[in-house]
Amino acid sequence: MHFYESSIITTKDGLHCQVYGNEHPDGKILVKPKYIPTNKIHSDSLPYRFISGRKMNRLNLWVDKDKLKIYFDDFAKAYPKYIFKSPIHDKSPLFFAIPKEDIEKAYSPSEGLAELMSIPIKDMDEHLRAIAEFVAFLLKSGIKLKDLGITYSTLMGHYSPNMSDINIVVYGKKKFWELMEFLGKNNHKDLRWKTYEEWESFYKKRNRHMIHNKEIYIENMYRKKSEGFFEGNLFVIFAVENDDEAWFRWGEEKYSNKGVAKFKGKVIGNKNSVVRPGCYEITDAKFISGDESCKELSISKIVFYSRDYCMLAYPDEEIEARGVVEEVTPKKGEKYHRLVIGYFDAYISKRRDEEYIKVLDGDEDD
Amino acid sequence: MGSISRNITVWGITMVHFYESTLIDTNDGLQCKSYSNEHPEGYVIVKPKYIPKDAIKGEGLKYRFLFEKCMVRFNLFAKKEKLMLYLDQFKKKFPDYIYHCKDTKNWFFAVPKQKIKTIHDSRKGLSELMQVPTKDLDEYLVLVRELVEFLTKSGVNVNDLGITHSTLMGNYTPGKSDIDIIIYGKGNGWKILDYLKAAKHKKLHWKTDKEWAEYYQEHKTSESSHFTEQEYVKHMARKRYEGMFGGTVFTLFTVEEKDETWFKWGEDKFEPLGTVTIKGKVIDHYNSQVRPGYYEIKDGEVVDKEDNVQVDSSIPIKRVVTFSIPFVQQAIKGEEITACGLFELVTPKSGEKYYRVVIGYFDAYITDRREKEFIKSNI
Repeated sequence: MHFYESSIITTKDGLHCQVYGNEHPDGKILVKPKYIPTNKIHSDSLPYRFISGRKMNRLNLWVDKDKLKIYFDDFAKAYPKYIFKSPIHDKSPLFFAIPKEDIEKAYSPSEGLAELMSIPIKDMDEHLRAIAEFVAFLLKSGIKLKDLGITYSTLMGHYSPNMSDINIVVYGKKKFWELMEFLGKNNHKDLRWKTYEEWESFYKKRNRHMIHNKEIYIENMYRKKSEGFFEGNLFVIFAVENDDEAWFRWGEEKYSNKGVAKFKGKVIGNKNSVVRPGCYEITDAKFISGDESCKELSISKIVFYSRDYCMLAYPDEEIEARGVVEEVTPKKGEKYHRLVIGYFDAYISKRRDEEYIKVLDGDEDD
Repeated sequence: MGSISRNITVWGITMVHFYESTLIDTNDGLQCKSYSNEHPEGYVIVKPKYIPKDAIKGEGLKYRFLFEKCMVRFNLFAKKEKLMLYLDQFKKKFPDYIYHCKDTKNWFFAVPKQKIKTIHDSRKGLSELMQVPTKDLDEYLVLVRELVEFLTKSGVNVNDLGITHSTLMGNYTPGKSDIDIIIYGKGNGWKILDYLKAAKHKKLHWKTDKEWAEYYQEHKTSESSHFTEQEYVKHMARKRYEGMFGGTVFTLFTVEEKDETWFKWGEDKFEPLGTVTIKGKVIDHYNSQVRPGYYEIKDGEVVDKEDNVQVDSSIPIKRVVTFSIPFVQQAIKGEEITACGLFELVTPKSGEKYYRVVIGYFDAYITDRREKEFIKSNI
């Protein structure tokens, strides 16, 4: 079974996890714990939710960093089997992974959507009706229902009409890009894109305002057709990779940590920037600042785990990024270097506020 | 064991007391609600709540999107012909979920214990909910908390309360879903119902006579068809198991602790005799707030019956039993009741034979008893 990113799995001990990649180590699934029962560990710094009859902590990577570190430490003690030490990294970043034998249930976004679409409209509430109508609109692009899915609270059944987002999954990068093109050219009376003010409000959250030039950021976000409103409901469209189109295979490369640095370079490929982890291929990389050990290195890929950076940049645009520099040794082919943004351990170190990817305008210079 | 430990995946349950209104997921993907506080060995008497559509299509029933599946919401009040067709398919598809009871010579929906996947513990669920800071609750759950805190003013401990249905499962819709509260123990049930007779809260509202009259006109059911509007209003207006809190409907379900069930499955034998209408005077209504519940009566007499029903006038009619929630708290001690249902000759393990009338067996919903059965007080 291929575990797609953005699917949901529940564990036998009650965790709700979001699958956090399309490639996984043998016998385990890389995840981000989404809701964690509070019977073993809890944190007042994280929000609580009442889900599935339990008081759960909702993991939010943007709460107070020191409190998050304490929580991660507690998590590692309470759930040691869910902490994965990667043998393909010389210095393993923090990964959460669920051994397959600990999975209680895997929720399939595509099967969920197929089931949802088989319900008579009269038996749907307004949230489900909006989804059905939105999906019917998306199908006009030529995409097949089997290539779409629904995830998060809608899939799990604990959504609130008028409050919960609509999270659509597209199976296949090529199909996703085609759908984006369709959405760029077609309109619907109930579809609207985020306004300048709405993107501005988004920009002000987290550390975006510390990194990006506001106008450039908003302009770049404007061109995304993966996020908007349908019948007043916020929707987000995610791409996930089919088994035969993963841009890397777990275990076919080894990674050696070279330090932390800031680089810039020109984008030559963004086809893989729509998934998690995503990737921009770059050329003409230039070291800007950071660890001396990285100074002479050339970067050819910028990899990220945060969906914030999906479809941020396009070929020929210049981008700047700060993150962990890794030497990549493939099983076949030449060694190269990449920059990685958003490993989980970044969120409990100063890297949380220092890692980023941004598009440079012609005038920006470091 | 007096209670279910928590939402657990259960393999090989042996000693759990299954309270009525407990939600159970089965290995076949059904979600069921336990329908009694007493159960035959190896089974839990249930009413199926949601059944996967891919197992049986639900013509005439509603669909819901739950647990990533399109589910058929099982409804005993669906059109009888549709219900009969559905039940025929259900019995073929899920024969293990039909319990043929030798004691009553009737059938029940039941989950074999080895088919139980998850039990959703209402008591534990509320306990968890009460620990969540209010700032992290949505408006619906805040209301649930407030209602629970109000109910505990009756003197009933919060540990003797639970939540069930969508409130417990988390698939509620604020502003639309009911709040379903479980009260553990009949003593606690009556304590809360007594408290609610006079208690005030700015968010608490009981339907007025006018609202019940409107409800009667808008919601014609087989049960209400036996009542004039005035009779219906009188019966409903004094009940305290359903009200409004902050604009949301709440329902109180009292369930029996293991040591207080009013019958033990398998101890008595019942001979079904046919449909009758009886009259009698209520001498005890203590057990009338649970499912199944009953009214103890005296001076019972058959006032109408099917031709083939043989009645031995030397055997007393002692009980009117109901599985139907609309007939709980229907009459109180000292009142005369009229009831129509299945007449049964009861042979207890010890003691004298007696007759009882049962309202709301599952088979009633697909026979002509569906339109005939009722319990009415002379208020």
